[in-house]
Amino acid sequence: MKNFSYIQPTTLDDALRATDTSEQFDILAGGTTMVDLLKLDAIAPERIIDISRIASLEGYTFDDENLRFGALARMSDVGDDKTLAQICPALTESLWKAASSQLRHAARLGGNILQRTRCPYFRETHYACNKRNPGSGCAALDGGDTGLHAILGGSEQCVAMYPGDWAQALIAFDAVVTVVSSKGTRLIEFADLHVPPGDTPDIETTLKEGEIVTQISVPVSAAMKGSHYLKARERESYAFASASAAVGVLEDGGVITEARIALGGVASIPWRAREAEEYLEGVRLDEASAFETGRIAFSEANPLEGSAYKIKLGASVVAGALLTAQKRARQEG
Amino acid sequence: MAATLDTRVTRYEAPSKVTGGTRYAADYMPSGMLHGALATSSIAVGEVVSIDTSTAESEPGVIAVFTHENIADYKQPKGFYQGGPGTASFWPMTSTSIRYAGQPVAYVVAENAAAARRGAALVSVKYETGDASIHMDPESSFLLESEGMNVTKGDVAAGIAQATAVVDETWTTPFQHHNPMEMFAATAEWNGERLTVWTPSQSVRTARGGVAMAYDIAETAVEIISPFVGGAFGSKAGLPPYTMLTIAVAKSLGAPVRLIVTRPQMFTVASFRPESVQKIRLAATADGQFTAFEHIEIGQTSQFDPVVNPGTHMTRAMYASPNIYTEQRLARSDTNTPGFMRAPNEMQSFFALESAVDELAWKLDMDPVELRRKNDTQRHPVADVPFSSRSLMECYDAAAASFGWSERESKVGSMVDGDWLVGYGCATATYPTAVAPSEARVRVQSSGHALVELAAHDVGTGAYTIMGQIAAQRLGLPVGAVDVAMGNSNLPVAPLAGGSVTSASSGSAVHLACMNAGADIARTLTQMDGNPLSGLDHSTVTLVDGVLQGPGNESISLLEALKLTPRGEVTAEGRYAHPDLSSQALRATYKGGYGVAGPVTDKHAMFAFGAEFAEVHIHRWTKEIRVPRLHGAFAAGNILNRKTAHSQLMGGMVWGIGSALHEHTLVDTERARFLNSNIAEYLIPVNADIRDIKVEMLDEHDDYVNPLGVKGIGELGIVGTAAAIANGIYHATGQRLRSLPFTIADMV
Ligand SMILES: Cc1cc2nc3c(=O)[nH]c(=O)nc-3n(C[C@H](O)[C@H](O)[C@H](O)COP(=O)(O)OP(=O)(O)OC[C@H]3O[C@@H](n4cnc5c(N)ncnc54)[C@H](O)[C@@H]3O)c2cc1C
Ligand code: SF4
Repeated sequence: MKNFSYIQPTTLDDALRATDTSEQFDILAGGTTMVDLLKLDAIAPERIIDISRIASLEGYTFDDENLRFGALARMSDVGDDKTLAQICPALTESLWKAASSQLRHAARLGGNILQRTRCPYFRETHYACNKRNPGSGCAALDGGDTGLHAILGGSEQCVAMYPGDWAQALIAFDAVVTVVSSKGTRLIEFADLHVPPGDTPDIETTLKEGEIVTQISVPVSAAMKGSHYLKARERESYAFASASAAVGVLEDGGVITEARIALGGVASIPWRAREAEEYLEGVRLDEASAFETGRIAFSEANPLEGSAYKIKLGASVVAGALLTAQKRARQEG
Repeated sequence: MAATLDTRVTRYEAPSKVTGGTRYAADYMPSGMLHGALATSSIAVGEVVSIDTSTAESEPGVIAVFTHENIADYKQPKGFYQGGPGTASFWPMTSTSIRYAGQPVAYVVAENAAAARRGAALVSVKYETGDASIHMDPESSFLLESEGMNVTKGDVAAGIAQATAVVDETWTTPFQHHNPMEMFAATAEWNGERLTVWTPSQSVRTARGGVAMAYDIAETAVEIISPFVGGAFGSKAGLPPYTMLTIAVAKSLGAPVRLIVTRPQMFTVASFRPESVQKIRLAATADGQFTAFEHIEIGQTSQFDPVVNPGTHMTRAMYASPNIYTEQRLARSDTNTPGFMRAPNEMQSFFALESAVDELAWKLDMDPVELRRKNDTQRHPVADVPFSSRSLMECYDAAAASFGWSERESKVGSMVDGDWLVGYGCATATYPTAVAPSEARVRVQSSGHALVELAAHDVGTGAYTIMGQIAAQRLGLPVGAVDVAMGNSNLPVAPLAGGSVTSASSGSAVHLACMNAGADIARTLTQMDGNPLSGLDHSTVTLVDGVLQGPGNESISLLEALKLTPRGEVTAEGRYAHPDLSSQALRATYKGGYGVAGPVTDKHAMFAFGAEFAEVHIHRWTKEIRVPRLHGAFAAGNILNRKTAHSQLMGGMVWGIGSALHEHTLVDTERARFLNSNIAEYLIPVNADIRDIKVEMLDEHDDYVNPLGVKGIGELGIVGTAAAIANGIYHATGQRLRSLPFTIADMV
C-alpha cells in the first residue's frame, strides 16, 4: 500500500472542499472494496476522503412515491428492513444475499453500487490490464482465464464483470442517483451511471471528478410486489453470483402487463434485459414462456471459455425468478 | 490394556484462543526487531537478468534490500525427497534461476512492516522468460519405482474377462491450498553463534536439524519455538525457504527480523495439494464379487523434486480381490514442490475408488453398501497379513441407520424436495495408522503437580490437552494439575505432526514416561523401611491410576509415596518405538525426519475406517449443489478425548464438503500463475453450507497398534466425503461427475 493523505470530513460541505485539490483522490465509504484494492496496490490514490462520518448521508425513508436511500446507509440495515421487504422483496433480497453479514455491516449503499470488478487480473499488478493501466492489454483476453468474466457488454479491450447484486434490483426498478459536487447537484438515471468498457475500460461511470453520490431513490411501482431476486452462487453465503436475476411482474387477466428483468453475474455493467421484457409483456407466464424469456435475455451473449455455461444458467435463473415473482404478484394484500 | 480416560475434556487453551490471549509464534517480538517482506517473481520460468533495488532502498523506513546477489550464503539443506529437511530441494534467491511463479526474488527489511511491504512493491526485476506449464501433463508421466511402490497380484486382464460388470474410468482432482488462518511467519534472532527462531511449525526438530546443518553449528545452538500453530494441515511441515531467508537476513544485519508472509504469497512460497489423475478398472461377477482392481495414479510434482503421495497404497488395502494391479506415476509442472495436505494420499484416491465402487453397484443393480460388504476383508488384500482391527462394516451399519439409508429410493432422479432434486450417496473412509518413535519427559512433585515435556506440536487439534490427560490419568492427578510443554526443539524428541501420528506416538511416550516415573518411585520405596511397599521386589509393583500396587494388595498413592522420598519429586523419561519399527525409521526420526512403523508391517496392517453418507440437493433453477446432511461413523481404536476427536472428524467432513464443492486453486495457464490467491475467491464452505453433520465413534479395541490402542483420526474424516457427494449427485440427477470440485457449471 502506498502512502496517502487521509481526510475524514463530518459534513458534506467539508467533503466537497476536500475534493478541491490537485492531489489525485478517492472517496472511501465502508472501505470493503477500497481497502482490498489499496493493499493490492491495484489503486494508489494520493488522497483519501473518508466520507463515512457524514451523518447526513445515512438513513433511508419511504413514502408512497419514492424509496430514498442515503449513500451511507448500511447494506445490513436496508437488507434487513421488514417494510422494504413488503414493498419490494427484490430490493432486500439482493442485499442480504450479497457478501457476508460482516461485510454488509461495514459496507454502504453508495459504495455498493460503485464496487469494482473482481476480475483477478485487475486486482493483481503483475498482470496487464487495460482497466487498471490503460493501454497495457488485457490478460484475461490474452490467453487468460475468463471463467469470471462478462458474456454481455464486454469489449475487445475488457470483459470485466460487474459483480454487484443490489444494482440489478435498482436498474430493474428505474432507480435514480443524486450526485453532488462543488458545482451543484444533479440526478443520474441509474441505468446511465455505469458505462460499458468499450475502448476505455478505465472509465466505469458517468460520475465527474469530485462528484459524490448522496442518495439513491427508487420510484414506487406496481410491479414491486411481484418481485424477486434469484441468485445462483457456489456456496450458501459469501459468494458472488454465478448468475442472478432481479425481476418484477404485473399480471392482468392472466397475461403479463409489465415485466422488469435485470441480470447479474453475467454483464460488464448492471444489465436490463429489455428485449426479454418486451417478449413477456402480453404473454401468459408459465414454465415454457419463462424459459423463452430467459433465452431471449441471453440471445446476444458472447460466450467466453469458462463462462459460456452462464448462458444456459442465466436463462434458467431468469425463468425461476419469474415464476416466484408471479406467485408473489398473485398473493393477496 | 488401554485405559479409559475421562474422554470429553475441553481443550485447556480454548478460552485463551477465543479471547485472543494466546500468543502465537509471530506474537513474540524480540527487542530491536526489524520487519521483512518478500518480493516475488512475476514470471514462472526463466532467469533474473537484473534487479533494481534503488527505489526500494530509498523508500522511507527501508533499511536493506537483499537479493541473490547480496544475501549471505548458507549450505543449502537437502529437500524432503532427498532425505533432508527442506520443503523443497530448490532454494530461491541462491541463484538467478526462476522455477515457479511467486518465487521469492528479494527480501526487504524495514523499520516497520508497512514500509517493508512498500519497499517490496518497489523492487524492479528484469527477467529472461522461459516457457512454463503450471499444469502437469499426464501424457508425459513417469513411473515411480521403489520397493513396494507398485504391485501386481494375479492377472487383472483375466479377472476382467471373468466379470459381469466393469468400471473403467478416470477421475481428476485439482490444485488445492491449505490456507491455514495463521499466516506463515518466521522471526530469527542470532546471539553470536546461537540462534532462536519463532515460527509456526509442524516439525521443530526437522527445522532445527536443517538450520544447524546449513550454518554448521551444533543442533543445541538452535532453538525453534512454535508454541501454538493456527492451523497447518501439512503446510508448515519441514524447513521452508522463507524461514531460511529470514535467518540469513537477520545474520547479515545483526538484528532480529520478523517476516509475515502475505496471503497471496502463501500460495507460492510453500506447498499445496498437487493435481492428480486417477485411472481405475474395477470388475465384479453378477453377485458382486470383485474379480479385478487396477489403479494407476498420476500425481503432480515440481521440476526438481519427486513428491510421492501414494494413494494406491491405500486403495489396494481396501477390498478383497484375486487380481490387483497398482501403479504410482508422476508428472512434472513448473510449480513449487507440492506437499501434504490433509489426507494427502487418501483424499484424491478415495474420491476415485469410492466413486468407482458406486458406479459398479449401479451397473450390478446392487445396494452400494452391500457391494462393499461382499468385498470386505479382514486380511490386507496384497500384503496378506491380518488387519490389526477393521470395523468397516460396523461403521456402515451404524451410519446407514443414523442416516436413514433404507429410505432411499433406488431409482435415479426419484427423490424431490420442492425445487430441489435429492440424492443419497455413501463412501468409505480410511486412514493408515502409522506410529513414529517419540520420547517424553515427566516430572511429578509431591505437591501434586506434574510437568510433561516433549517436542511434539499442537497444530490446533488439542494435543496439549490429550498429553495432559494421558499423564493425569496415569499419575492419578486432576487434568488441571498437569502442565504440558511442547513446540520447542530443545524438548525430548517427538515426530513431526503429520500423518496423524501425534496422539498415538507421543501419547505412548507420555504413557511410558509416567509408568517409568512409577517404577522409579517403586524402586526407592521398596528399598526404604516403613511403607506398604517396603521389601517387595520392585519389578512386581505397578502404577495403576496414580496408585503403586504390589502383588498382594499392598498399595500407596504416587503422591504419598513421593512425600516419603528424600527429594519429594521424580523425573522420568519415556521412549516409545513400535516393535515393528525399522532401525532406519528410528534413525530418521532422531535426525529430525519422518520415520514410522506401519501402516503395513510384516505382521499386521493397521488402518482406521469409517463410512460417510451424504444427502445432496441440486436446485432446479439455480443448479446449486448443497449438502444438507452428512453422517459419518468411524472406528479408530481407542478415542482418547471424545470432544477433540469429534472436532477432528467433523472438521475433516466439513473440509470434505469443501473439496467436493468449493476448493479449487484457479490458474492462469498462459502465465503459469495461481489466480485466486486470497480467501475471498478461494472458496471453502461457510457456516451456511454446513447443516446437519453427525459424527459417531464406534468402540474398537486394538492392542497391536500401540500401548494406548490409538489410531490417528486427524485426517480420516475428509476421506470419502467427495465420493459420497458425487454418488449422491448421481442418484439425484443421473450425472456422473469425475472431476473435483463439482460446481454449478457441471450441473447446467
Ligand atoms: C469477499 C467479498 C465478497 C463480496 N460479495 C459480494 C456479493 O456477493 N454481492 C455484492 O453485491 N457485493 C459483494 N461484495 C462487495 C461489497 O458489497 C462491496 O465491497 C461494498 O458494497 C462496497 O461498499 P463500501 O461502502 O465498503 O465501499 P468502498 O470500498 O468504501 O468504496 C467502493 C467504491 O465506491 C466509491 N464510493 C463509495 N461511496 C461513494 C460515494 N458516496 N460517492 C462516490 N463514490 C463512492 C469508492 O471510491 C470506491 O471506488 C463482496 C466484497 C467482498 C470483499
Ligand atoms: S477483463 Fe478488464 S479488468 Fe480484467 S484484465 Fe482485462 S482489462 Fe483488466
